[in-house]
Amino acid sequence: MSEPTVQPVAPGPPAPPATPPTPPTPVRPPDPQRALRAIAWIAGTFSAIVVVTMLYFHFTAAANDPWKSPQLLALRARLAVEPKNEAVKEQIRQLDFQFRHQFRQRLARDRFGAWLLAGGAALAALVARKAAESTRTVPLPQSERERLGLPKERPTRARWTVAAVGGVAALVLVATALLLRTSLPADAAGWRRLAGQVDAAPVAALPGLAEVQANSPRFRGWDGGGWTTGTNYALVWDRKSGQGIAWQSAIPAPGHNSPVIWGDHLFISGGTTAQREVLCYSVKDGRLLWRRTVEKVAGSAAKLPEVPEGTGFAACTTATDGRHVYAIFANGDLAALNFDGTVAWAKSVGVMKNSFGHASSLAIWQGTVIVQLDQGESGSSDSKLLAFDGANGRPVWQQTRTVPVSWATPIVVEAAGKTQIITLSQPWIIAYAFNDGHELWRAEALESEIVPSPIFAGGLVLAISPTSKLVAWRPDGAGDVTKSHLAWTAEDSNAPDVSSPVGNGEFAFTVSSGGMVSCVELKSGTRLWQHDLELSVQASPAIVGDRLFVLGEAGAAVVLSAGREFRELARSQLADKFLASPAFAQGRVFLRGETNLYCLGPTGKDQ
Amino acid sequence: MRRISKFGWLGGLLLLLLGGVARAQLLFPPPEFESGYRMPVTTTPPGRALWLQYLDVGVLAACLAVAVWLIYRPRSRRGIFWLSLFSLAYFGFYRKGCICPIGSPQNIAYGLLHPSYSVPVTVVAFFALPLIVALFFGRAFCAGVCPQGALQDFFLIKPIKVPAFLEHGLGLIPYLFLGAGIAYAATGTGFVICRYDPFVPIFRLSGSFFLLAAGVSFLLIGMFVGRPYCRFLCPYGALLKLGSLVSRWRVRVTPETCTQCRLCEHSCPFGALREPAPPGAPAPIPGERRTLGWLLVLLPVLIIAGALAGRALSPVAARLHPTVALAELYARQQQHPVVYGVMTPEALALARMAEQPGTVLEAAADLRGRFRLATAIFGAWFGLVVGIKLILLSLRVSRTDFEPDPGACFACARCFSSCPSERVRRGLPVVTVQPPVPAAASALAK
Amino acid sequence: MPNPPKSGQVNPVSRRQFFRNGARVAAMTGLGALTGVLATRGTAAGWVWQIDPAKCLRCGNCATHCVLEQSAVKCVQAYAQCGYCQLCTGFFAPEPNELTTAAENQLCPTSAIQRTFVEDPYYQYSIDENLCIGCGKCVEGCLRFGNGSFFLQIRHDRCLHCNECAIARVCPGEAFRRVPAQSPYLLKSVAK
Repeated sequence: MSEPTVQPVAPGPPAPPATPPTPPTPVRPPDPQRALRAIAWIAGTFSAIVVVTMLYFHFTAAANDPWKSPQLLALRARLAVEPKNEAVKEQIRQLDFQFRHQFRQRLARDRFGAWLLAGGAALAALVARKAAESTRTVPLPQSERERLGLPKERPTRARWTVAAVGGVAALVLVATALLLRTSLPADAAGWRRLAGQVDAAPVAALPGLAEVQANSPRFRGWDGGGWTTGTNYALVWDRKSGQGIAWQSAIPAPGHNSPVIWGDHLFISGGTTAQREVLCYSVKDGRLLWRRTVEKVAGSAAKLPEVPEGTGFAACTTATDGRHVYAIFANGDLAALNFDGTVAWAKSVGVMKNSFGHASSLAIWQGTVIVQLDQGESGSSDSKLLAFDGANGRPVWQQTRTVPVSWATPIVVEAAGKTQIITLSQPWIIAYAFNDGHELWRAEALESEIVPSPIFAGGLVLAISPTSKLVAWRPDGAGDVTKSHLAWTAEDSNAPDVSSPVGNGEFAFTVSSGGMVSCVELKSGTRLWQHDLELSVQASPAIVGDRLFVLGEAGAAVVLSAGREFRELARSQLADKFLASPAFAQGRVFLRGETNLYCLGPTGKDQ
Repeated sequence: MRRISKFGWLGGLLLLLLGGVARAQLLFPPPEFESGYRMPVTTTPPGRALWLQYLDVGVLAACLAVAVWLIYRPRSRRGIFWLSLFSLAYFGFYRKGCICPIGSPQNIAYGLLHPSYSVPVTVVAFFALPLIVALFFGRAFCAGVCPQGALQDFFLIKPIKVPAFLEHGLGLIPYLFLGAGIAYAATGTGFVICRYDPFVPIFRLSGSFFLLAAGVSFLLIGMFVGRPYCRFLCPYGALLKLGSLVSRWRVRVTPETCTQCRLCEHSCPFGALREPAPPGAPAPIPGERRTLGWLLVLLPVLIIAGALAGRALSPVAARLHPTVALAELYARQQQHPVVYGVMTPEALALARMAEQPGTVLEAAADLRGRFRLATAIFGAWFGLVVGIKLILLSLRVSRTDFEPDPGACFACARCFSSCPSERVRRGLPVVTVQPPVPAAASALAK
Repeated sequence: MPNPPKSGQVNPVSRRQFFRNGARVAAMTGLGALTGVLATRGTAAGWVWQIDPAKCLRCGNCATHCVLEQSAVKCVQAYAQCGYCQLCTGFFAPEPNELTTAAENQLCPTSAIQRTFVEDPYYQYSIDENLCIGCGKCVEGCLRFGNGSFFLQIRHDRCLHCNECAIARVCPGEAFRRVPAQSPYLLKSVAK
């Protein structure tokens, strides 16, 4: 088949093209040419039909993916509503079987079609080659130009074509480059900004424990337990005369987070849909030193999450390690600011699936920022516990939590020879190792949605299951310690749903939203007393020495004896609305009201 | 094969042992069975056995040897045709087009620049053997061993002549494709030559719609334009072309002295046959010397311009790299956020990156630096190819016989049978001369 | 040979021949050096593609981007890591109607997971690779709520060993990598 029986012509002008062999007689013998051509056409047409059929199946199959069939989805949704409906089940089974059958059929059909096409095309090509070979005509073996005696052509046309192809290729490349502009920054600084890194000045050394304890570096004191040993706190004041009120200062940004105090700096954060910011006041005189908006954070979503006004964008209390102040907002922006108000680093931890708005405050321990991001449904792996290096914002580790959304703040405690991070979310109390984030133990303890934070008191981890109980676990277990390490359970239908417990080593106190104060003995878990203060309370209670400080929403501050029996010691009043928990440092009480920040204690003159 | 399955067994045992260690960390501890249940072992079916890979190399070497022999000794087109059918069956439909030399320059480039990837011996053999053969005997690989070529050749039915100027122009593309393929391989982006091979999906009878359509289109065009992929795209063909330009022996139309009968002039469907220079002293074409001088000056200009342009385009070229693409997606997300669906690849990639954006961005910045060099070299190569081609087109022809251009010739042996000397040698009927037809002649004279 | 037409001009054929010979020798030397370098650094058995289960994000690309019509990526079961749970979240759809193998309860779109009773309350789960399409739905289910004993692997008896893996190119986790052909699997061994 490959030796063409060409009929070339001899050189010498003028030569004709080969003429097709047309027999002179009218009665034509059977012509193998015609037969070959006919076969080629039939095979070619057959292949074309196969191609069209396969294309049809390809596009119809791609258009309706059986497993995304609305019919099947509707049936599944119906079964979820009517779990006992046998007819629906039967329909699903039928449909599922049908789809799987169709899928296998499609694979087999595609395979068969491909072979059919290969065969048809091969046959068509083979026959067409044969037919074409035997009728191949050869043109005149001489170029026109040469025959006419013209000089040899310059290769100009070829050169221009080469230049044109090169030019078109270059143009296509340049056009592609212009169309696909890069979004990546051009300079090194832009890259660092994109990575959420800011060229930070060398950071100071970490403060010692004594310094940490002398301040109030996070939500509810240095360890999140809401207690302080100081005896030099007055806890009483007179609104009318101003006696006992060191200063008060207006708050220009809304937020429910508590003040955080370090040396002469007091930090709060505020946030609206318009802007999220950190504010710094002077502890001495309440002067607003600076306020810094946290904006243009790398990775931050442009669309803000919808957050109910009751929570707001700044429900999370800030934290400080004496080097930076760290703040997180409901849109997932996490920022570290220097004490002069400049941004050290900022990054986004992503928008959270939290319809009430993110409210877990930051925890801080030895320069590491701990962020509890509980969100979404139970069982999903949306929830996370993250640890960042406070110096530069680099992630230290992260843990996925299969728990649903929660609003509790984690605490870091030294217990059972380990530094443990205690977290709460329905239904688990989970402890993680501070150094690498691996899970130490977990206990199934909690019902309903968790807002109150855990505390560590009298060697026990205390957690509130809202409106049901206060529970205590021993922190020296490993694995699931639900059964093995439960210390006690104090059933209490008045267990708070917002505020956290407080303990002093001997007793634990809880204050419900309705003002019901309960006292439980830490050793045994027995309830010693319960008393209704008839106050609306959102802020968590605090223990100052041997006194219990309860701050009502409407501004009433009640001082009770933190002891075996109920005894009311004093009651003072402020004209503001209080949701944030109080902070204690340097012999003074710091309260964040809705409109003002209050410092209660000896005035400058008294000192 | 035995060694590999032993590995699998060991792996399974290791899994059991480690499983015991890991028990404490599992959410649901593995049960202690009481019914004497024996835990199955995860199977690890091995890949293609090593001896079969060596067999591929052996088949390649044997096919190359047979092709060379067929071209130079019996000078048999029929033999080459059957050999190409065998290669199509073995390397094409049996080996599914993967392993083939076309993509091998990329493995070589990747291996040279990435010490963690040592190029397998078989790949080195597939890269080097056809090239060595080309340096001595011309493109015997293209003639009878390459399945892609065989497939196109099979579908060549009624060849039309591509004008020489177009042939020269489009002939640039393979060099550019080769340059791009090597640049992308060298930067670790991927193997674009393999990615856009239009015939491999046909060998597999499955593949992406785009590539299958491209393959079928090439075959449809190839019914009239001989071997379009080989001539106007194949990057390995470009290498073989360079090799066979300087080959020791060459394919000649006639077994003896050329009588200049011109009967072979139109026998090549790939436009590779060149006519000789007119007899006697070459007549100088007016203006050609000056043009050549200008082109020689143009060459360094083209190279430098190409390098600069390539460097400028590097940020866009880098976007093909998955890491840079992810950084790009991340940066775009900062400026114009798009909400991707749950569990979609984009959302998952962004979530992965959000954990440590710095690491990915650092890698991307590093890659962009590498791309600046790679695209500058590619641009210079682009300029060099265009410049050299222009210069070659302006050199004087010194051919004395009708013979195939050694670079363009696929050594398919089609032209042999049109030579009267060859027909005499093989005892075939000698051509008859037909009487002239004046009408046709006058039509041509116009 | 007749005298050249102009003085100083050599015979072009012999000059070209000389150039060709030189170029060929140079090309052979270069090629020899290149193959020499590569051969000393080369491996005999070569590489195959594999998925690192630690990096896999279960996006579903494996089912759709393989050059094979039915992907060479399959789910595999690390039995030693399996909890043999009665309620397997890799097998059952979320909130299953009943714990039976009926279609409405299954997560796998092709019913490729075989659930067999071992002893109360344990069930064995294994994969029918002829049915599995490598979509990773069960892997995600097992990883979210269970021990994570299901994971995706390229099965080398099916893989065509493309020079460039078509799935690797689109993997959002960059989980695909070349591994030595002597140890072609990245099995899950230690639970996390």
